[in-house]
Amino acid sequence: MELFDVVFYVFAFITVVSAFIVVFSRNIIYAAFSLLFTFFGVAGLYVLLNADFLAVTQILIYVGGILVLLLFGVMLTSNVINVDIKTGTIQTVPALVLVAIVAGSLSGLFYSTWKDVSAPETSVVTTTPALGKMLMTTYLLPFEIASVVLLVALIGATFIARRST
Amino acid sequence: MAEQILQDLQLFYPELALTATFLVAILADLIFRRTSVVVSGIVMIGFVVTAVLVLGQSDLHASIFSNMIAVDPFAHFFKLVIIISAILIVVFSLGSAELNSPNRKLGEYYALLAALTLGMMLMAGASNLLMMYLAIELSSISSYILSGYTKEAPDSSEASLKYVIYGALSSGLMLYGISIIYGLTGSLDIYTINQVLAEGDISGVALLIAGVLTLAGFGYKISAVPFHFWTPDVYEGAPITITAFLSVASKAGGFALMIRFFKVTFIDSSVVTLPEGAWATFEGFEWYHIIAAMSVLTMTLGNLVAIWQNNLKRLLAYSSIAHAGYMLMGVVVLNNQGLAAILIYFVVYLFMNLGAFYVVMLVANKTGSEDIEDYKGLGARAPFITVALAVFFISLTGLPPTAGFIGKLYLFAALLNSGWVWLAVVGALNSVISLYYYVRVFRNMYLRPADQPGPPLVFGKLQTAIVLVLLIPTILLGLYFTPLVQLAQASVKIFGTP
Repeated sequence: MELFDVVFYVFAFITVVSAFIVVFSRNIIYAAFSLLFTFFGVAGLYVLLNADFLAVTQILIYVGGILVLLLFGVMLTSNVINVDIKTGTIQTVPALVLVAIVAGSLSGLFYSTWKDVSAPETSVVTTTPALGKMLMTTYLLPFEIASVVLLVALIGATFIARRST
Repeated sequence: MAEQILQDLQLFYPELALTATFLVAILADLIFRRTSVVVSGIVMIGFVVTAVLVLGQSDLHASIFSNMIAVDPFAHFFKLVIIISAILIVVFSLGSAELNSPNRKLGEYYALLAALTLGMMLMAGASNLLMMYLAIELSSISSYILSGYTKEAPDSSEASLKYVIYGALSSGLMLYGISIIYGLTGSLDIYTINQVLAEGDISGVALLIAGVLTLAGFGYKISAVPFHFWTPDVYEGAPITITAFLSVASKAGGFALMIRFFKVTFIDSSVVTLPEGAWATFEGFEWYHIIAAMSVLTMTLGNLVAIWQNNLKRLLAYSSIAHAGYMLMGVVVLNNQGLAAILIYFVVYLFMNLGAFYVVMLVANKTGSEDIEDYKGLGARAPFITVALAVFFISLTGLPPTAGFIGKLYLFAALLNSGWVWLAVVGALNSVISLYYYVRVFRNMYLRPADQPGPPLVFGKLQTAIVLVLLIPTILLGLYFTPLVQLAQASVKIFGTP
């Protein structure tokens, strides 16, 4: 086992264990905090995959932005801290069937295709300049349309939050 | 690159005009806070300008912004359907009592209507999976907000929330599918994906799973079974103008997107032993069986459940699910004849469905009810619009001499010519079922006396004129349809396919 593998398993372990806590914790604050470690672990996996820009964005946006917003939301909402979230299980049988089908087909998918995966021939040093150039050339239109989507979402959020007069 | 982008921009004027309309509408809403008529005027002008720009784009074959958007006759046709219904929806909104209640500010409503239209127009042309996803999201997010616009109505907020949850789920499934397709083929560009598939190294099963996941996103937009669960609640709870818009334009965008995706991606252009205008899929990617099953389920469920509905908006919601099922039959046959039939059907559907919704809105403006029981005796109280509603319903059933008959005729002809007899039979049986629930409305309007006789409903000249604008094409296209058929047959050309 090389150093690379060891680092991979460390990050994978952090991600999976904290994800389990997010799902199974009955305290919403614990869930939110362990989400922090999930995001962190995923960012580590991105670094191992040579996706440096993605890793930094993951930390900046998910940890720095979304998670903080989530915690603020939880803490500012009255009575949420002490309330147990409803985590009862209903519709067990249909859910099991569905999960089995999805899990089966997805694992079949990955099993049938994983041998085609190969490492890149040249090692990538940094991806940020290339990404920046592509956003302004090939992917210019999606980049601009994404800004319209965000504007619509912003207007919608203020509209919904506004008290009706 | 910069010159290329500037050149591409010239083919992007309609969408640019819509974006400008959206932004100007927001600014105008800030300046003229109290008078939302300014914003509606701006949006109306913007839509008309866009319609003129779209008309100027006929017979172009190009792919712009590094193959992100295709500008071809196929997209042109759908853009026309979308912008015409957008203009009609603005007209409807101006006369809707539900929306124009005092104290309601409609600035954001009209601005978001422009954003929604922009999203649908992008759906008509998108030829890259990333662009397709963004176009779907733009139109979805705008429709979430618009369907919850009448906040004081409890079912409106519920509609909006349900729409968000189902929308998020199907976006998630679709993104997952797209990511698997990207992993398998190494590209998001549908032309490149087609080339990779032509080389034949891709596992059929893996791509099938990815394709089905992606289909969740399209199926949700066109409200096909089993992705239809949001439709009845959203259609009932949303303001009726938005319901009408979603039922026509949103479906048009979804169909354009889905047809382009499947036709460009899975079509084997190396097969030459085919009759004129037919296509062949790659071996191992016989996805049209899935679409045939979806089509049967969609129309049968839509029609059967519609029988039990007492709210006309909900009835029309299920009827629109059924119509999506009919149109899916045109995709199954894999030839240009089926495609042309879908295009014809969309134009017909635009007039008859918007017409039905408009009459329901007019009646609700006066009586405050969309319940089928309150239509008792309406035939005597409002003769003109009940006759109009009857014509729209006859057309929705598909009986001659209305336009709906022509729409169905071309669909069934396409099916029979390609040997899909059983599917045509299922479609015909479904039309018979649909007759039952439309007739229920007729019976209440003409044969049953009202519980409490009310005064005659009087409608203004403008409202009568709008009904006529929708009624005349519904009848005329049933009698003289050659130009429409020619236009549809000329519009089946999709960029990048033979």
